[in-house]
Order: sequence, then C-alpha cells, then structure tokens
Amino acid sequence: MLLRIDSSSAEPLFEQIGGQVRALVARGELPVGTRLPSARDLAASLDVNLHTVLRAYQEMRDDGVIELRRGRGAVVASAPDHGPLHEAIAALVATTRRLDIPPATTVALLKEALR
Amino acid sequence: MRSPVPHRVATTLITLVVPLVVLGAAVLVALSWSADLPDPVAVHWGTDGPAGFGTLASAIVPIVVVGALLAMGAWALAFLAGHSASTRRIAAGSSVGMSAFLGVVLLGPLDAQRGLADATQASGVTTSLLVAIAAGIAAGAVAALVTPGDADQPSTRPVAADAPRLALAGSERAVWHRSAFSRSTLVVGVAAVLVILVLTVVTRVWPLGLLAVLLAVLLLTMVAFDVTVDERGLVARGLLGWPTLRVPLAEVVAAGVTTVQPMKDFGGWGYRLGRGGRTGIVLRGGDALEVRRTGDRVAVITVDDAETGAALLNTLADRARTA
Repeated sequence: MLLRIDSSSAEPLFEQIGGQVRALVARGELPVGTRLPSARDLAASLDVNLHTVLRAYQEMRDDGVIELRRGRGAVVASAPDHGPLHEAIAALVATTRRLDIPPATTVALLKEALR
Repeated sequence: MRSPVPHRVATTLITLVVPLVVLGAAVLVALSWSADLPDPVAVHWGTDGPAGFGTLASAIVPIVVVGALLAMGAWALAFLAGHSASTRRIAAGSSVGMSAFLGVVLLGPLDAQRGLADATQASGVTTSLLVAIAAGIAAGAVAALVTPGDADQPSTRPVAADAPRLALAGSERAVWHRSAFSRSTLVVGVAAVLVILVLTVVTRVWPLGLLAVLLAVLLLTMVAFDVTVDERGLVARGLLGWPTLRVPLAEVVAAGVTTVQPMKDFGGWGYRLGRGGRTGIVLRGGDALEVRRTGDRVAVITVDDAETGAALLNTLADRARTA
C-alpha cells in the first residue's frame, strides 16, 4: 500500500493517514487479514510522531476497520461488502457533475448528512 | 564495462584457502591414524551399522574431491561475480561450512574405528553426522561474518530517466509497504520439519530433533518478508528481523519491474544468489521489484504491486539527490 501525507495540508496528519487506509480497505485494495506496518515502523517511515500514527490506528480500530493485536500489530478487519456504497458514490458523483455543483458543496452536504 | 569485484584477496583467503587448509588438515590427521585403524575401514553405514568397507584412501579421496570442488566453485562465484556482500558471504559460508562438515564426516567415523581389529565392529555414525552439521553451520556462520561487507557507494548520477516515477509534491512524504509470503516455501518447509520429527520419533535418535528445530528457524527466516520503501530507501526484512536487505536511496541507480522464474533465475526459493550475481528474495514466480544499485549490484524481490514500489523509490531517490 502507498500512503502519502502532506505537511502543508490543513487536514491533520492522523486523519490523512486514517483516511487513506480506510479508502484502501473500502476499495478492497487491502483485503481482510492484511497486516499493516507497525505504528512504530510507519511513524519512522513517514517521519511523524508515533502518537500521530497510534491515533489514526486507534480511531480505525474503534470503527472496526482494523484490529490491533498485541505483538502482531495492525490487521485489516473483516468488513461488510462495500459494493452498494461504491455504486451510490458513483451516482452521487455523476449527479454532482450533471448539476454542476462545486465538489466542496457536495462533500459538505455529505458530511452533514452523515453526522 | 562492469566495475571490479571488491575484496578479492579476502575472498580468496576465506573462500578458497581456508577450506583447502581445513580439508588438508583433516587428511593429515586421518593419515596419522593409519597405524591404529583396521584395514579395510568402514566407509558406508546402513541402518544396522557398517555396510561398506574399503581402504583408507577410498574413505579420504571422495570427501576431499567433493570439498575441493565446492570450495573452488564458491570461490570462482565470489571472485568473478561477488559485487555485493551477500554473494561473497553466501559463497564464503557455504565453502567453509562444507569443508568443516566434510572434515568431521571424514574424521568422526575414523576416530570411532581407531584400535578396532575389525571394521565390522564400528559403531554408528549418527553422533558424528550431527557434530558435522553443527560444525558446518558454526564454521559457515563465522566465515560469513568475517567476510568484509560493502563500503557505502553513493551514486553521483541522477536516477535513469526512463525508470518509473510517481507524482509527489515537495511538501509530501510517502511510504510504500507490502508483505510478501511464500506458500511453496511454507509447504515444503513444514513437510521437511514433519518428516524429520517423525524420523526422530521412529529412530529414537533424539538429537535429530535439533535438526528439525534448526530447519524450522531457517523456514521462518525465508518464508515471509516485509518490504518498505521510504525516505531511507528500500528495506526487505524477514520475519525474525534477519536476513534484511537494505538499499539506501543514495545507492539507487534505477528501480523497475522484472519477471522472475524461481528455478530458472535463482535455482529455487528464499534469500538467494541468482544468475549474473543478482541477490534475490524469491517467494514466488512472476512480477518482482528489481533495484539496480551502485557497484554493479542488483537486488530482486518478488512482491505484489512492484510497479508502485519502484516508482516511489526512484522518485524519492531523485529528490534526495537534487536536494
């Protein structure tokens, strides 16, 4: 898996890391059981604080995206089939484009609706 | 024009001279015992004790010839294609390890026959064999350890222009990580360990159990690797933390994707030496990450999504070199 973080972005680093892992899991690019690098290794690789990675991992664990196992690191947890979600997202994107709505508006509405 | 192989004097001493001296010493010791040995001596053993007999020379010659040929082969490999330390270490370890193993295989059973009037009374060779395996592993490990490593060889040139890249903004940091696992190694390894365990129980030669443990550890070192590309370069690390293959960003000439056929290119699976002196972590056939590095060294790792790993490695190497 390829993870990238942008220190000039306004989005907190732990959210950047968590968001990418969630997207990879949702797209099926990280299948169930895939071992993620240990928090310490990932922090060293990205040159960020260990607690930044731990916070990303802990939030994903709380959401059931990954399992944290003592001594075995982080493992992608079993997830429901995301197929229908991808279809709905494709429809949402198509509608947004057709109505010429700015992407930021759709994202804002979506965030609010999911709250 | 390829760069010269480094440390050729040390390679010749460790990989050729030491094993020949070990074999020569074993022969001299065996000859010095000739007055105490029965004639003929036992040279082959079956399940019920000695099964083949011959002159002292017939016990010595095959072992020395095999040992000398192995040493010369390993030396030639390290002398001609030992651009990377791993090649020289594996050659030195096999050469010295085999000579120690063969030396004990020669002397152990002969020692047990000293003072016997008749070689049919010779005792079994299991202990000798286990001592020989232990001596071979220990001597091989020492030889690999004292073999000189590679000096840092930072590149002075940019990464090849035609190598893959990926888009990475100046403010971005990135890491690529993959776990690679070898099903064939696991299946063969577990089968071998089980066979030895069964043999241990059936023959009641309990020290054989040690061999099973050794093999299990060897299996753990070869069955799975974590591959990471980040600002420090490429690291492929075995399950136990050893062996580890590192390529610092500064030594990357170009990374790309290649196709590996394990038997044809590397003669099998695991951490291996391949054709043309390539170092390989071979876990399966198919697409692999190939990193050409300075000093005419090439590292190959069979890992999925090698394209992305290679692109990130080239991109980060570019950035480190222009910074």
